[in-house]
Amino acid sequence: MEKFKISFKMLILALGFSAVAPSCTDLDEELFSQVSADNFFQTEEELVSALGAAYTSLYGFAGNGTVWGIQEVSSDEVVVPTRGPDWGDGGHWVRLHQQNWTAEDPLVNGGWSFLFGGVSATNRLIYQFELLNNPLTEPFIGELKALRAIYYLWLLDIYGNVPIVTSFADADPNPPTNSRTEVYNFVESELTSALNSVTDAVDGSTYGRVNKNVVNTALARLYLNAEVYTGSPQWSKAAAAADAVINSGNYALESDYFANFNVDNAGSGENIWVIPYDQVFAGGFNLVMMTLSYLNQQTYNLAAQPWNGFCTVEEFYNSYEDTDLRKGQPNTEDGPSAVRGNFLVGPQWDVTGRVRLVDDGTTASGIDPDGTPFTLRAFINELFPTAWREAGARIAKYEFEVGGRENMNNDYPLFRYADVLLMKAEALWRQNPGSAEALALVNQIRARAGVDPFSELTADNLLAERGREMFAEAIRRTDLIRFGVFTDAWWAKDVQPECKELMPIPKNQTDSNPNLVQNECY
Amino acid sequence: MKKLFTMTIGVLTMVLLSSMQSTAQRTVSGTVTDASGEALIGVNILEQGTDKGTITDFDGNYEISVSEGATLVFSYTGYTSQEIAVGSQSQIDVILQAGAVLEEVVVTGYGTQRSKEVTGSIASVKAEDFNKGNVNDVAQLLQGKVGGLVISRPGANPNGGFNIRLRGISTVGASTEPLVVIDGVLGGDLNSIEPQDIASIDVLKDGSAAAIYGTRGASGVILVTTKRGSAGVSKVDYSGQVSLDVVNRTPDVLTAEEYKAFGGGTDLGGNIDWFDELTQTGVSNTHNLSLSGGTSSTTYRLSGNYRSIKGVARTTGFDRLNFRANVTQKALNDRLTITANLTTSSRDASLGFDEAFRYATIFNPTTPFVRDASNPSFARWDGYYQQVLFDYYNPVAIIEQNTRQERVKSFAGNIRGDFKLTDDLSVALFYSSQRSNNEFGQYWSKYSFLVGENARGLATKRNQEFEDQLFRTEINYNKDFSGGLQLSALAGYEYQDFLYQDFFAQGGTFLTDAFSYHNLSGAADFNNGLGSVNSNKVTSRLISFFGRVNLNFDDKFFLTGSLRRDGSSRFGAENKWGLFPAVSAGVDLTEVTSINGFDQLKVRAGYGVTGQNVADSYLSIQRFGPTGNFYYNGAFTPSYGPISNPNPNLKWETKSDINIGVDFAMMDYKLTGSLEYYQSKTNDGVFLFNVPVPPNLFGQTFYNVAELENSGIEMALNYLVDLGDNKSWNISFSGSRWFSPTLVSLTDAEAGVSLGGFRDGANLGSPGQNGTPLVRLEEGKPLGQLWGLVIDENKQINEDGTWNFVDVDGNGVQDDISDRAVIGNGFPKYNLGINNTFNFGKLDLNIFLRSVLGHDLINTFRAFYEAPNVISAYNVLASSADIKNLTDQPQFSSRHVERADFLTLDNLTLGYTFDSASLPGGFSNLRVYFTGQNLFVLTGYSGVSPEPRLTDTGSDFGSLAPGIDRRNTYFSSRVFTFGLNVGF
Repeated sequence: MEKFKISFKMLILALGFSAVAPSCTDLDEELFSQVSADNFFQTEEELVSALGAAYTSLYGFAGNGTVWGIQEVSSDEVVVPTRGPDWGDGGHWVRLHQQNWTAEDPLVNGGWSFLFGGVSATNRLIYQFELLNNPLTEPFIGELKALRAIYYLWLLDIYGNVPIVTSFADADPNPPTNSRTEVYNFVESELTSALNSVTDAVDGSTYGRVNKNVVNTALARLYLNAEVYTGSPQWSKAAAAADAVINSGNYALESDYFANFNVDNAGSGENIWVIPYDQVFAGGFNLVMMTLSYLNQQTYNLAAQPWNGFCTVEEFYNSYEDTDLRKGQPNTEDGPSAVRGNFLVGPQWDVTGRVRLVDDGTTASGIDPDGTPFTLRAFINELFPTAWREAGARIAKYEFEVGGRENMNNDYPLFRYADVLLMKAEALWRQNPGSAEALALVNQIRARAGVDPFSELTADNLLAERGREMFAEAIRRTDLIRFGVFTDAWWAKDVQPECKELMPIPKNQTDSNPNLVQNECY
Repeated sequence: MKKLFTMTIGVLTMVLLSSMQSTAQRTVSGTVTDASGEALIGVNILEQGTDKGTITDFDGNYEISVSEGATLVFSYTGYTSQEIAVGSQSQIDVILQAGAVLEEVVVTGYGTQRSKEVTGSIASVKAEDFNKGNVNDVAQLLQGKVGGLVISRPGANPNGGFNIRLRGISTVGASTEPLVVIDGVLGGDLNSIEPQDIASIDVLKDGSAAAIYGTRGASGVILVTTKRGSAGVSKVDYSGQVSLDVVNRTPDVLTAEEYKAFGGGTDLGGNIDWFDELTQTGVSNTHNLSLSGGTSSTTYRLSGNYRSIKGVARTTGFDRLNFRANVTQKALNDRLTITANLTTSSRDASLGFDEAFRYATIFNPTTPFVRDASNPSFARWDGYYQQVLFDYYNPVAIIEQNTRQERVKSFAGNIRGDFKLTDDLSVALFYSSQRSNNEFGQYWSKYSFLVGENARGLATKRNQEFEDQLFRTEINYNKDFSGGLQLSALAGYEYQDFLYQDFFAQGGTFLTDAFSYHNLSGAADFNNGLGSVNSNKVTSRLISFFGRVNLNFDDKFFLTGSLRRDGSSRFGAENKWGLFPAVSAGVDLTEVTSINGFDQLKVRAGYGVTGQNVADSYLSIQRFGPTGNFYYNGAFTPSYGPISNPNPNLKWETKSDINIGVDFAMMDYKLTGSLEYYQSKTNDGVFLFNVPVPPNLFGQTFYNVAELENSGIEMALNYLVDLGDNKSWNISFSGSRWFSPTLVSLTDAEAGVSLGGFRDGANLGSPGQNGTPLVRLEEGKPLGQLWGLVIDENKQINEDGTWNFVDVDGNGVQDDISDRAVIGNGFPKYNLGINNTFNFGKLDLNIFLRSVLGHDLINTFRAFYEAPNVISAYNVLASSADIKNLTDQPQFSSRHVERADFLTLDNLTLGYTFDSASLPGGFSNLRVYFTGQNLFVLTGYSGVSPEPRLTDTGSDFGSLAPGIDRRNTYFSSRVFTFGLNVGF
């Protein structure tokens, strides 16, 4: 009887076990707050949302840690001085300006990650859309290939020798380096074939996206710098690509230069391709934080205290004539300037424009040249270690919005018609230094800026004019290299070897991919 | 809440007092001797289930007043305890047998063993040995008590958790904290359990002991057993205490006078000690009431605890109310035992603002006023004095204008049924459910310069819910065979489900501060698209099969083997399951052959494999989620894309270790101790690797690549000194030596991932010192390497006022990246505790000294706020005087790395136990005590707290970056506690 009782209990126990058995080894994961590819990308809306990843990848462009920072701070336009205890940051901002960067520096890494992140995103989407074979997403493929080629155009310019990766599913886990010429050929061929696949529409449907004019502008940039990239100049091709944009008839110079950079610049007839930054929907453009002083929070009633970093090299500021509308007029002791320019300098005022800002007579850098009044000045006493907090003309080209936040609403122009005109002018001038058409194109730009026309074009005045017009548009480094002066000495910076024209491949990339070849110099 | 609870206790106490008056009390007396007839002095005699007790005098005599039906427990260090039912006896003489320590029950996980049978490395700490005083966190009970277990909380933040590390570190990416098991529930929360409810804590240290917990045992296991009732008359116990927290150390900055005398500073005319303004004497009180008792078939214990804790930093503290009920019921002729536990915990915390500490360090001490509400120049800040400088905010304004609070509610219940099928064979079913809910609320005022002003008020509300359910079945078989062989075997199945979800909302632009965070509809940000809202849900599951066999051959030879097979939902489809075996054996040489001088000499060795899960769910699968918006056909459209690189091959991290130990007892068990050595190797450690993009979508992927080695030595000693004359002195020592864990490899050629030899991380930060890594991970080198420029110790500053760094690479240039070197190590080497307990009749005195040696700390306060040239605006540390010639900027170097060895008088308790016979009727025992914590610290470290920093919260390296004293370190304090325990 005792025995029977036990086995009866055992039976109950066994039943108990079997009740839980079906789920007892189930270890599948269940997603709640994300989706897997199996249950997404089914409807039209969902498919369109996938395309977004290629463009949202661009939002890092105009932050301080990627392409914009590399192109500007390594040039003669912009510096990030070490202001006492601020902005030392292990010296990498100073190294960037002095062209002493290392393969571990944050922007070297940031630029690579940003650009190849874009390449990877487009590769994935091309792969997925090709698989889908859906009429809705079919046209996206050509657009994505063009966008990928533009990411490669920046890679070609900054890093030169990089791996060309176009596949997603069966990509080499450690892709090998391609030579700069190979990358050039790839970009040329991709952009050229994209001309047949992207739309030539210029309207709301292509705003912020790649259309034919964007591709032609990219080609113009590619050809204009072909000699740097491959050793063989392509001036006539550059002029032809620029012509294709000009002849599309879609663009004209705005009468007001700043119409291209104001908060409400979406209607600019001059911007060919923008990143449509928005404080709510598309954050990432925070120049307001990077350049303004802490005290300027009160000038614009900003939601956060700016960081007092980026400013203009004084010589560059002085390269503008005082009457140049692009330079604008400095603030005075009587109030804020009535003529807005690329720079914010002079006595600073609160949002009403009537109360002079003061800095309580103290500065962390030890010296405040004028005591308590707060005055931004173009003069920078030194690059490091103790630049005055007030030093340096601030980059005011992109209008600061009263009541603004960290993320700006101004759309950022990646490609602009004025640049196309100047590229065409340069391409013509390179082929014929006496080209009247070239001179006329440049003078068209100068006329809008309210300054006298040039009588002739020289390497010096053409480069300087490009600088003034394209200030803070992330092209200066490329221009200086093309004119052969990038590694020259300038303020607070010594002569550097020519191999500095290419940035190093980031250390964490060479660490993780043994097939990468480091650039000369590093 | 607090008032109500105190009143309730008062009323209850009165009722109980009046009802207890009538309970029959009688007196029992007798003598306690050892086997040779020698009187034993200071033997503890306790009425079971109560706190009522006494000790024997110098003749071994005792006298105690007991309730009807009481059972007396006679215990004496080194001797086997005896329980004797009083019955009608009035004279009870007792002979105690030496060797108790070997009979003590040790909790081993899914079971218990007698101490002498243990072959793994297990440390057991009973309630009477816990740290005393104002202890609000269970971890603190053990601080310094267990060799190899380092428990650290820099500063005295009442809301700050302790970091716990057992035997160094054996993982690079997964959890470095030991698994906590509370009454059989895996993954318990030490923070929600009331220290007064704990009976014992056992720590499984080596792989052979922890392998039964498989994938969660690699960082050790802490087993918590709560108090339960025992059969007998119902008991009521009350204990209460009042504590004063007094500020001990704050950063040493210039006073107003010193600031003016220093030169270069701006004298604003005032004199303010900002640390004074931020701090207070924290007055805390706690009340505990418990009822316990039972019959032969039912036992219970119910307890309620209330704590009101105030920190030394103003606006920090918490109130907590806990209830716990443990019930055990026997049925079916005692063959069925049902055990049920229920606990609730609710905690209302005011978290304060750690940001204020760094601003108090740098805010000008000559500031004319803290706040002047009538001063129109400061109206925009509601009268608080502010200056517009970078990273410079009135610290008092921060804590007074803004609110940061947390409400945590947790509920846990479990029920277990044990059924004896035969005398040898039993089965058990166990179910447990735990839920906790954490509600966080924060509001930055419209007038708060730091955050709120231009956001026009900023409110945050976040709700997090954690839930897990555990189901387990066990089969136990215990058999004594003829010939002295004892076998106990266990087999089990366990299933645990985890759920996490949260909700977050943040918005600003308020018309008024009146709502705080209680009316988010007042935030205009939600109307203009700038508010943010988010929610998230994550689940995971662990399934396990496990078994264990213990063999005892005649108390001579001991053998344990265990095996666990664990499956986790978090791994790749092909790698979900892992196997974790362990074996250990021991022999007591005194039982095998005669060895002079030893009562016990057990040699044991163990080998075990344990595992580590990954930190997050879903890492092995490709997920898509919202990735912002893009401009499509004239409007912003949501964009969806992948959110991380998946690794479909992700699998268990495994750690295999060996442990060799000796346990011994000598001099009639007066001297006992153990010594052990361990060595472990971690394979397939999960680490976030840099990977090439493309082909990858993102620059980092989790891979099983890391290889680590770790070793150490531990020692524990206990010695009982008989001082005669009713006096005794018990001295115990626990110590450990951690040999720096070594990072063997972070390369896997096959998977194509490599660290490239090293990686730098743990950035110092703003202002001015971004891009300044503080820690280097390097293959073949110890973990915990502090990394930076090397100051020339002979001449720190050049004639021109710049730093004089050593040109490490000899290229003739100072201060480039290649001049950085290893400048310290953040892991401690030695962790020592010495406890002294003196008994002088009714007086007892406990002195606990604790020391941690061999670790370095980066004093980031000094790295930022020491350079004298910032004095024009900012206050500086007093140590600026040493480098007055410096004109350079603050720059981190070996100058800011300090040895942080320390010795602290951690705990001093003086207690007096009243003679129970002398107590008024109704009282069965009364003890009063005074405790001082952290009474002195001997250290050369100049910062607030020399405690090791075991983890760098919020940085990319986390637990891999020990040794960084960040600027949010809470002040350290001394604590004075007065308490009493009363039994009825």
